[in-house]
Amino acid sequence: MLEIEIDGQLVNAEPGEMVIAVTDREGISVPRFCYHKKLSISASCRMCLVDVEGAPKPQPACSTPVADGMKIHTQNDKAKASQKAVMEFLLINHPLDCPICDQGGECELQDVAVDYGSDVSRFSEGKRIIAPSDIGPLIQTDMTRCIHCTRCVRFGSEIAGIMEMGGTGRGEDLKIEPFLKEGITSELSGNMIDVCPVGALTSKPFRYELRSWQMNSINSIARHDLVGSNLYAQTYKGNVKRLASGDNDAVNETWISDRDRFSYEGLTHDNRLLAPQIKVAGQWKEVEWDVALDFAVKGLKNNILNSRNVQKLGGLASATATTEELHLLQKLLREMGCENLDYRLNIKDLDNAIHLQSNIKLADLEHIDQAIVIGSNIRLEQPMINHRLRKAQLAGAGITTLNVKEFDFNYKTNDIIVAPNEIANTLAGVLRVLVEKSAEEVPAYLLAVTPCAQAIDIASSLLNSDKTVLILGEHVVNNAQAASIANLITEIAKLSNSLTLNLTVTANALGAQRVNFVPNSTGMNVNEMLAAEMRAFVLLDVYPEYDFHHLDEALNTLLNNDVFVISLNGFKNDLVAQYSDVMLPMAAMYETSGTHVNINHEMQSFSAAVGAPGESKPAWKILKVLADLLELPGFHYENSTQVLSEVAHQMTPVHEYDTAINLDKSTVEVETIWTHSPYHTDALLRHATSLRASKIGQINTASINAATAKSLSLSDSDTYLGVPVDITETMADQCVFISSNQATNTGAL
Amino acid sequence: MISDNAKKQIDSWIEKYPEGKQSSAVMEALKIIQKENNNQLTHDSIQAVADYLDMPGIAAAEVATFYENYNHQPVGKHIIRFCHNISCMLNGADDLISHLETKLGVKTGEVTDDGLISVKKVECLGACVGAPMFQIGDQYYENLTIDKIDKIVDGLK
Ligand code: SF4
Ligand code: FES
Ligand code: FES
Repeated sequence: MLEIEIDGQLVNAEPGEMVIAVTDREGISVPRFCYHKKLSISASCRMCLVDVEGAPKPQPACSTPVADGMKIHTQNDKAKASQKAVMEFLLINHPLDCPICDQGGECELQDVAVDYGSDVSRFSEGKRIIAPSDIGPLIQTDMTRCIHCTRCVRFGSEIAGIMEMGGTGRGEDLKIEPFLKEGITSELSGNMIDVCPVGALTSKPFRYELRSWQMNSINSIARHDLVGSNLYAQTYKGNVKRLASGDNDAVNETWISDRDRFSYEGLTHDNRLLAPQIKVAGQWKEVEWDVALDFAVKGLKNNILNSRNVQKLGGLASATATTEELHLLQKLLREMGCENLDYRLNIKDLDNAIHLQSNIKLADLEHIDQAIVIGSNIRLEQPMINHRLRKAQLAGAGITTLNVKEFDFNYKTNDIIVAPNEIANTLAGVLRVLVEKSAEEVPAYLLAVTPCAQAIDIASSLLNSDKTVLILGEHVVNNAQAASIANLITEIAKLSNSLTLNLTVTANALGAQRVNFVPNSTGMNVNEMLAAEMRAFVLLDVYPEYDFHHLDEALNTLLNNDVFVISLNGFKNDLVAQYSDVMLPMAAMYETSGTHVNINHEMQSFSAAVGAPGESKPAWKILKVLADLLELPGFHYENSTQVLSEVAHQMTPVHEYDTAINLDKSTVEVETIWTHSPYHTDALLRHATSLRASKIGQINTASINAATAKSLSLSDSDTYLGVPVDITETMADQCVFISSNQATNTGAL
Repeated sequence: MISDNAKKQIDSWIEKYPEGKQSSAVMEALKIIQKENNNQLTHDSIQAVADYLDMPGIAAAEVATFYENYNHQPVGKHIIRFCHNISCMLNGADDLISHLETKLGVKTGEVTDDGLISVKKVECLGACVGAPMFQIGDQYYENLTIDKIDKIVDGLK
């Protein structure tokens, strides 16, 4: 620990720290543009000049390491004069168009200019102008305002992992621009808006909307994935106008994915369900809430309660719901004596469901030495988790992927291409090597396994590394050997001392697990319900054509005239309208208070940033009133915090599951993996216009290799299961990998 | 995009750098490609160099646009590189450049219709003692005047 003096005040500093880190910690303000705590130091703007006693010239605080006894002045005449001089230079070519600039009011240049700029410019020559360039639907550029701090450039090469922006030209012709004609494509690109200190890079969907001081800023949590990134919802007159990243080193550091940043646009989509509706004689009718709820209660009584056949009632929810909503729905069902409930709508065969713990903390991911990623395009599917993995790789970790197809990672990976029906065998090979190395006896199911070269490599990479993690991704969800693969991973983790990360579930699935939103042995799971003769359903935020694996069965059951269906939805949906009897409009993300359980098993609560639009209401309130009307006990909640405290006192239930490992290969001729493309994973995203227009939002491909395409008589201009075919050589034989922005077409899967 | 011959030449430059530092050869690689393509670099040829050296396209473009010896527009058989940096500017380079432009009927950056001559403004060529000056090919021409320029330019074929 060193002691230095800043503006006459003695402060402590760590050796190697830069002066600016110390002043920031001590709350002493030093102006800066190019410095950013999460980016490398470029020391190019010179705005942070301070006077260091003994140094002949002023020193940049961002790149001057502290030394014991150093005396620094940030405010004396020498420092001030240098800062003012730099400011004058920076403003020479700046257009000073603050009145029409979206950054106005939250602009670092504007703020610093107020403190250090002069009132009148001495520069009377012409200023340079840079023609605007279109870099995609998410980021607006006004490069005449750019001060060449290179934060966006460094963000690209250091954090996003693809250098997309760069400085071309020289001297006064220097321009910050992307080289690629398609503009900026990174899944983290929106962070450039946050790092740009001026109005050169601003949010395109937010362009010319509002001034920052007109908006309220509310802490919130993004719920599109397992991370639960911390962010600010900026609102105006009851609408979310923009989202900006928040700081939380244990979760998202200071970055958020584009998926989290731009999804809010869906909130104001025309397709929102805004009023309660009931179906009378096949006709939808908008009604008051009390009428709709009475209708719902009557329907439940007529179909279920009066005839005491509560086993014919089912509750299904999507994992995008909040923990409180899921808790209330399960409580409502269970209070009626109904044990038929589930959130695992996308699972083909629940006897083959994956049971795998996640026991690594997000922040620890960047300290691992070796990761094995199985069945995941982790970069696009879980951008923030991938970001941690990338950091680990840059620090020297080995990342091996086992995928059906080679994906484009933004760091070095060792890619092993395996057909889905080979994953279990490959992992069994790994396990066999590990078992043999340990003193344990080889279990019967491994006796016939001969480890392949890759399995041997993986096993030795696990044994030779200190901190290892096994990551299971969503492509394995409906693998014919899914359960065995998960069990193999558990075994491998035990023997290799690895941690595990289960990415086969997403959004708030851990919240659903926490409140036990699955049936016990007396109830039916989703697939059993869909096959049974049911009389009523309560559906929470379900969009059938995207959510159900067994869509045909689901529609068969739900469309049956004898089945009374109560649907809570945020968005209108044709199929929902066809099978429901009551539609209750519910608040969407940022419109309700609640809790998301993230991959660290942390309960992150948030309040509503805006009110729910139209007549819609937070689902926890709807469920509470429904329970009251059904005269069920224990629903006297006044706010969602009371609901949560009930959850917090319960333990996450542990379910028994089959740990057997079965290595019999499936013999399907062509194996198809269906995934929702990254910006189509939930209803809000599917309504977020700008995101959908972005390059990643446009992904809709069925990847097949040439040989397989030939055997299926497919060419590049055909579709497979309705999805455009993309012929690529780097993928397994006799397989199709689909990443689609269309409704799931699982009939053929 | 990159001919075998060019690849061979680039490879010999890559060899001079430690393994994994192949992108250090970017300047030479750009030069080689430029020479093969009518003395001009295009978006695609810069991308091709970047791909060959396994570096981001924009990083190669940064280099290609920083140095004056890379051409991004069609150029003539002879390129007059006119210095317009401080010493030359103080000694009247700007007027001489306008004279040259009127004489040839082109603006800086353009080529004469017969494809013979193009004019480019460049930064200090290290010949400030002889300012104002320009360079054609490997030759420096110093202490330029209007008469001198006319004579030099008329002699170009
Ligand atoms: S665009 Fe913004 S972040 Fe990028 S260099 Fe210019 S001022 Fe800096
Ligand atoms: S912040 Fe220190 S030089 Fe830019
Ligand atoms: S300024 Fe022209 S040669 Fe130096």
